[in-house]
Amino acid sequence: MVHLNAEVFSELVDGGVVAGAEEHLASCAACRDQLASLRDLKARLRALPELEAPAHLWSAIEARLTGRPARDRRFGWPALIGMQAAAMAAVFVIGLGIGSMFTGDEALEPSGVPVIGQVAEQPPASSLEDALAEVRRQGAEYDLALRRLERVASRAGTPMASLAVERLAALDVLVEASRSALATRPADAVLNSYLFAALEQREEVLRELARQAQQEAEVAWR
Amino acid sequence: MTRDFTEAAVIKRARAGESEALKLLYERHSSRVYTVVRRLAGDDDLAADLAQDAWVNAFRKIRDFRGDASFGTWVHRIAVNTALTRLRQAARRRDLQEGYDGGSTLGNADAWPASRATDRVTVQRALDVLPEGYRAVLWLHDVEGYTHEEISDRLGIAVGTSKSQLSKARARMRALVEAARVEVLDHGTP
Repeated sequence: MVHLNAEVFSELVDGGVVAGAEEHLASCAACRDQLASLRDLKARLRALPELEAPAHLWSAIEARLTGRPARDRRFGWPALIGMQAAAMAAVFVIGLGIGSMFTGDEALEPSGVPVIGQVAEQPPASSLEDALAEVRRQGAEYDLALRRLERVASRAGTPMASLAVERLAALDVLVEASRSALATRPADAVLNSYLFAALEQREEVLRELARQAQQEAEVAWR
Repeated sequence: MTRDFTEAAVIKRARAGESEALKLLYERHSSRVYTVVRRLAGDDDLAADLAQDAWVNAFRKIRDFRGDASFGTWVHRIAVNTALTRLRQAARRRDLQEGYDGGSTLGNADAWPASRATDRVTVQRALDVLPEGYRAVLWLHDVEGYTHEEISDRLGIAVGTSKSQLSKARARMRALVEAARVEVLDHGTP
C-alpha cells in the first residue's frame, strides 16, 4: 500500500482537500494516526506558553536609545562568565540584606546623622582574597549604613531625597572597591558580578532620584 | 495629579521621548515580543539580540505609529520583521539555500530533554533544533497565521518552497517529538 506523503498530510492539516486522500485514510490506520498526530502537534505548537524576556534586556535597550555607555551583558556577564557569576551576584545582593546580622551594631549615631561616610576607600588589595574580603566588608558596611539611614528617616522624618543621595555615595564607594579588586584579577567572574550588582543598584538609585525630581515627592525606599 | 496610564496616554508620552513611558511600553509588551523572536531564533542569545533590535527599531520609529492597530500588534510586527531580516542575512552569509531546504542539522540528540521532559518542553526543543528555514515557516504559518504568500514575501522564497518547507517541517517536528517520546519511554518515567 502506498501511504500519503508529507505534502498531502500538510494540506490535510490545513483543512485542504486532496483527491483520493479520504478514501486512503478510511482504509489506512497508520496514515490516520499520522494525520491525527500532525494536527495535535500544530495545536501543541500554538499552545506553547509566552516567555519572559531576560531581565537585563531593558538596560541594553535603554543604553542604545540614550547613547549612554552600554552595559551590554551579551558580551560581558552572564554570557561570558556564565551562570555562576549571575548566581554570585544574587548571593551578593542577598548578602547586602543579611550583612548587618553579623555586624551586631544596631545603635544609632548620637547625632542621628547617617554614617555612610565612614565607609572609606581602601588601598588597592594585594591579593584576590584580600580584594574579595574587602568587597564583602564594604557590602556589609553599606548594608549597616542603609539600615541606620532608614531608622533615622522613620524616627526623625529625614527627607528621603537626602537618603537617596547618601545611598548613592555609598554605592560609589562600593563600586570603587569592586574595581580596585578587579585590578588584581580583571577577568574574575565573581568580582565582575559584584561590580555589576553594585552598578545595578546605583542605577536604581539614580532612577529614583530622577523620578523624585520630576514628581517633587518624597521617595519611599524599599 | 493622577497620571494617565492608558495605552494611548503612555504612547503619547513615549512619542515625546519620555523614558519612563518607553519603559512602561516595554514592560507591557516585552513578553510578546521576546516570545516571537525566541521562537523564530531557536536560541536564547540570538533571541535577546533580536528583541533588543526590535525594541530599538520600534522606539526609534514610534512617531510613525498611527494607532491603526494596537501598539502590541505594531511592535509584534516589527519584531517579526526584525527577526526575519536578521535570519535572511544570516542565511545569505551561510549560503542558506541548503538551510532553507532543510538540509542542515537534524539536531543534537544530547540536547533532548531527559526522562522528566514535559510535553511543552519537548515541542519547544523540537522547534529549537529544526533547521531555521523550517522553523521560520512553521512558526509563521501555524502560529502567527501568515499565508504562504506572505511567508514567500517575507523570506524571499517561492510560494511553492514555503509550502514544501511547511510540510517537511511538520514531518520533521513529528519525528523529533516521537523520538523524544520514545527516549522518555526508554528511560522510564518516574
